[in-house]
Amino acid sequence: MDERVYDLIFICQPATPEEEIDKLVATLQQTATERGGTVEKTEKWGTRRLAYRVAKNREGYYVYLVLRSTHGDMVKELERRLKVSDVVIKFQTIRLDEELKRQKKLVQRRERRASRRPRKPAAAPAAPPAVPEQPAAAAS
Amino acid sequence: MTDDPSTEQGAEKPSDAPAGDSAPRPAERPAGPTGGSGGGRSGGSHSGGSHGGSHSGSRGGPRREGGGPSGGGPGGGGPGGGGPRRGKRQYFRKKKVCRFCVERVDFIDYKKAEMLQPFVQERGKILPRRITGTCSRHQRWLGEAIKRARNIALLPFATEL
Repeated sequence: MDERVYDLIFICQPATPEEEIDKLVATLQQTATERGGTVEKTEKWGTRRLAYRVAKNREGYYVYLVLRSTHGDMVKELERRLKVSDVVIKFQTIRLDEELKRQKKLVQRRERRASRRPRKPAAAPAAPPAVPEQPAAAAS
Repeated sequence: MTDDPSTEQGAEKPSDAPAGDSAPRPAERPAGPTGGSGGGRSGGSHSGGSHGGSHSGSRGGPRREGGGPSGGGPGGGGPGGGGPRRGKRQYFRKKKVCRFCVERVDFIDYKKAEMLQPFVQERGKILPRRITGTCSRHQRWLGEAIKRARNIALLPFATEL
């Protein structure tokens, strides 16, 4: 099976101490590696305003991870852990590899096109407004 | 039927003559209100066009343009009205271009909520293509991104009161 890329975002209670979040991230990383995946990137966005109330909170601490795995089990296990955790109020995993593949394809296609023929300057479409004036002038 | 075109011609001919070089621009303005007050706007302009064709071929061009903006004015006022803006000449309507195509966007990131904000109404609705001018492909990606952002509380489903 191909390797898959996932975006994982979770939101913690805003009152959670920083150490606890670090601990949580560390355990998540551990479980990910145990299940044959890798954590590519970890970002802590910090406390942000939520667009709507989640578990009676108007703010939340965002953590963003990028994961790679060949096994779907990893995501299942991570989500189970997030669900069990008390400090996490919301999480979302998104599979991104197909979109990244599509993006790569589009970039490649554009480069190929650009290399095939040199860029031609766009013709200025200033003519149409000027044209109707001439017949009117000729009539009068 | 016969009266309307004649009055229109009467209104236009004097305005055409003194204007001289910059004829079409001033001619549009007077023709618009008269056509609108006349009631059946589209019918009047059509018959006028056929009359003009029989009278003098050269003047048919400017008159039809005079009818164009008068139809385009109300069409621009109501964004829902698709009728008048399609058939008549699009004079004041700037052609909308997909913002993502211009910037060559291959992937719309759902994490950049500020970037998605202009494509969402105040109450959180996704704006339709006909208003933002986004192309169909990018609108599809955009909708997906907005929905993802909503799920993770970056964008609202609906703003609370």
